[in-house]
Amino acid sequence: MITGELKTSYRADEQVLNNRWKRGFVVAALAGLVAIPLFGNNYIVLIACQMGIMLIAVTGVNVVIGYTGLMSLGHAAFVAIGAYATVIFHNAAGGVIPENLLTLVAIPFAVAVSALAGIIVGLPSLRVKGLYLAVATLSANFIVIFLIEEQIFAPWTGGMVGINTPAANLLGWEMESRRELFWLIAVLAVLALLAAQNLFRTRVGRAFIAIRDRDYSAEILGISLYRYKLMSFAISAAYCGLAGALFAYFYARILPEQFDLHLSLMLVAAIIVGGMGRTMGAVYGVIVIVMVPEVIKVVFGALAGGGAELAMIRAPIQEIAFGALIVGFLLFEPFGINQIIDRALRALNRWPFARG
Amino acid sequence: MLSVQDLSLSFGGIKALQGVSFTAAPGQITAIIGPNGAGKTSLFNVISGFYRPDAGQVVFDGQDITALRPDRRAELGLARTFQNIALFRGMSVLDNIKLGAHTRLKAGVYGALRYFGAARAEELELRADIEARVIDFLEIDHIRKAPITALPYGLQKRVELGRALAMQPRLLMLDEPVAGMNREETEDMARFILDVQEEFGTTILLVEHDMHLVMDICSHVVVLNFGQQIASGPPEKVRADPAVIEAYLGAAA
Amino acid sequence: MGQFLQFTINGLMSGAIYALIAVGLVSVFKATRVVNFAHGYMIMFGAYFYFTFAVLVPQAAWAPEWLQSWRPEWMLAMRADLPMFSPMAAVLDWLANAPRILLGLAGALVCNAILGLVIERTLMRPLMGQSVFAMIMLTVGLISILSGLAQLIWTSDAEFVPALAPNTPIRFELFGANIFLFGTDLANMAIALVIFIGIVLMVHYTKSGVAIRATAEDQSTAYSMGISVPKVFSRAWVLASTTGAIAGAILATRNGISPALGLFGFSVLAIVLMGGLDSYLGVFIAAMAVGVLEALTQWQMGGEWAGIVPYVAVLIVILIRPHGLFGSKEIERI
Repeated sequence: MITGELKTSYRADEQVLNNRWKRGFVVAALAGLVAIPLFGNNYIVLIACQMGIMLIAVTGVNVVIGYTGLMSLGHAAFVAIGAYATVIFHNAAGGVIPENLLTLVAIPFAVAVSALAGIIVGLPSLRVKGLYLAVATLSANFIVIFLIEEQIFAPWTGGMVGINTPAANLLGWEMESRRELFWLIAVLAVLALLAAQNLFRTRVGRAFIAIRDRDYSAEILGISLYRYKLMSFAISAAYCGLAGALFAYFYARILPEQFDLHLSLMLVAAIIVGGMGRTMGAVYGVIVIVMVPEVIKVVFGALAGGGAELAMIRAPIQEIAFGALIVGFLLFEPFGINQIIDRALRALNRWPFARG
Repeated sequence: MLSVQDLSLSFGGIKALQGVSFTAAPGQITAIIGPNGAGKTSLFNVISGFYRPDAGQVVFDGQDITALRPDRRAELGLARTFQNIALFRGMSVLDNIKLGAHTRLKAGVYGALRYFGAARAEELELRADIEARVIDFLEIDHIRKAPITALPYGLQKRVELGRALAMQPRLLMLDEPVAGMNREETEDMARFILDVQEEFGTTILLVEHDMHLVMDICSHVVVLNFGQQIASGPPEKVRADPAVIEAYLGAAA
Repeated sequence: MGQFLQFTINGLMSGAIYALIAVGLVSVFKATRVVNFAHGYMIMFGAYFYFTFAVLVPQAAWAPEWLQSWRPEWMLAMRADLPMFSPMAAVLDWLANAPRILLGLAGALVCNAILGLVIERTLMRPLMGQSVFAMIMLTVGLISILSGLAQLIWTSDAEFVPALAPNTPIRFELFGANIFLFGTDLANMAIALVIFIGIVLMVHYTKSGVAIRATAEDQSTAYSMGISVPKVFSRAWVLASTTGAIAGAILATRNGISPALGLFGFSVLAIVLMGGLDSYLGVFIAAMAVGVLEALTQWQMGGEWAGIVPYVAVLIVILIRPHGLFGSKEIERI
């Protein structure tokens, strides 16, 4: 048992990191983050950047699906909107706003545009839920990608062939390398996680959970379904828009097909694997969803040694593994890795007494 | 405090309510009774805004609220509990009760995301308030961190009452507060209801099958049968009303 | 006007195939309350199975020669007398393919039925009674598994597959406009409509149809009234996978086999919601309407716009009539 943790004020009792183990864990995790750009090789930095971007988007998806219980299979659209809004903003405002301030304005712009798109795409949630909402958001995803690819908008979006992206520039610090950009991604990812956690310590987060558990009762208790469902969509879209902006800075070129249904499914898969409606669930989920294909790649690399035949079946195997993760967790651990870790910690905590 | 006038509601061909009118006096406990299927819960649902009546008016504190959304009614101070406990299973007891105070709080999206600052001050103030006014009052301090699913039925009912109280309602609507409880639990609940009336001066409207409870604590009783209001008045008068006896026991042979 | 009629008829022909695919989705929904997001990928499997049995197997070294191309004496004799592009020649060419078409269809039906059964038994049944979210997400996971498996199994590029009916051009006049069609398209439409109507009649008039409807109404009551609900589930999945196999075969002959076939399923999903999940009539009307709308969009705005017609249409319908054109709304309780 964790003992000797006696609270003397409500303030202490309301803390998230309410014991020294949790505080220690967070300090260690932050130290690990700082170590990555200082000591990690290029590959580690690359993977860490991908995870950070993904984590921001998955945290957003977690708000709308995991906490508010509104199903969405279209959140890649918001990542796309965030990424394209960033690039378009850079291209349009390049001459107007000084170079070293561009990024500071472009990111909030992208986030705001995505949030607005989130409110629009969230409109069907006022009338339908569950399956209908899943198909409505999926449709929105298809439509957004279609519009980006469409000829009419090609002068701004680059159309089917994609568009080159600018480098981030923070007050004169040009982030050309991934190692530099990692700092920006890491700081924003940590802030995003913190903000999501904060949300659920206040009335806004409680309202989301209430809508997920019993929407009509929530309304009778004074929660406006209109306002909070749209708010949930807006917040999650804003997170995805932020991820999209970083995505644009991270890659040299973006293509519409990077934001298709597959990305939406990846975002949802990550929270299923990690644990829905849990802040840490997004973290665990992203680690698994990013690492599994990498591990398969490494294993195949070792087995094949450059053989073309084995390399051909690598992509399908990665795809099957992705699907199997979703199916496996739904069948055997619907609350995800978060639940497994909770259970393990509980057992450890009570050892050597009752287990389970 | 609350008056309904000539309420009618139907589902397809079934007439759930036909011309129901009554007034709940401020600071008093009013009971709605009637056999199963008489339309009591439907009446509650119309008052709290979940159903729209086909005809009639709901007037709360002089304001016609018939067309208002449920959440707007809650903001005016209408709180209720549910016949089949409607607690939020994904939250602890404490969070459920805090949720009841939703309409009293102000934090917006930005404040919530930031938390530190106004939102935290508001949350800590709320915590202190509900600890004293709800958790202590209802004697549920031993379970405040427990998940809802781990609680026995009687305690869940009490937490639901706590959630409604957290709203600091002006009208408290209780849908079968003691259904399925043993005598001891019923007595506890009756005591809490009377305490609420006494301490906070809340107007209370309750639906209940337990006649002893109704006759003991209510000052006004409305009787429904097949959606129609067949009697209304103080308990002693209603108890002697032949129409009420007939509805409950059938016509005298 | 002539163009308009031509495109409308083209639209009706694709609409019929949408309806054929939709019937599987609706049947599974009626019986199990699950909507299969991976249905398009089951159709893709049907197409690949058809390709396997109609093209790969007949080409194998051990296959008898008549399976590859069946040309009895009388057919050769008849063929010799005909001019190049005569309708009769097309019929004879088709007849020469008949053995492998039949083998292809039979193989696709049997293999897809097995696939449906396996999915139902191993993945869907353990989740019986779970949340809608879990079931939908399971079928979403299935998308990746099926798509990956298809790439593993059929590494070779799919070639030309034999059409289900003779590909004779048909010309006729309608309201003074010249209409031009292909025989196969007309036959595909007929096949799709016959199967659609057959299934609707079956659900309404046979004993197992009544079992499906009773299960749709209330699973546990149906179970307690002696209806084997698990059996109903299996039947519905087999129904969906076999109609999907035929649709897959048809689509393979029309557009070839590619991973895009799987995406086709999402358009049909949109159509099904538009019509109302539990209404065969509504879904039929929606399928035809989307088919025609797509064709007209293609005519007026170009092919790429046609692709998003179902998605735009479903969003509009959901905003106006949340439960589809003919779907039944449940009374909410608290």
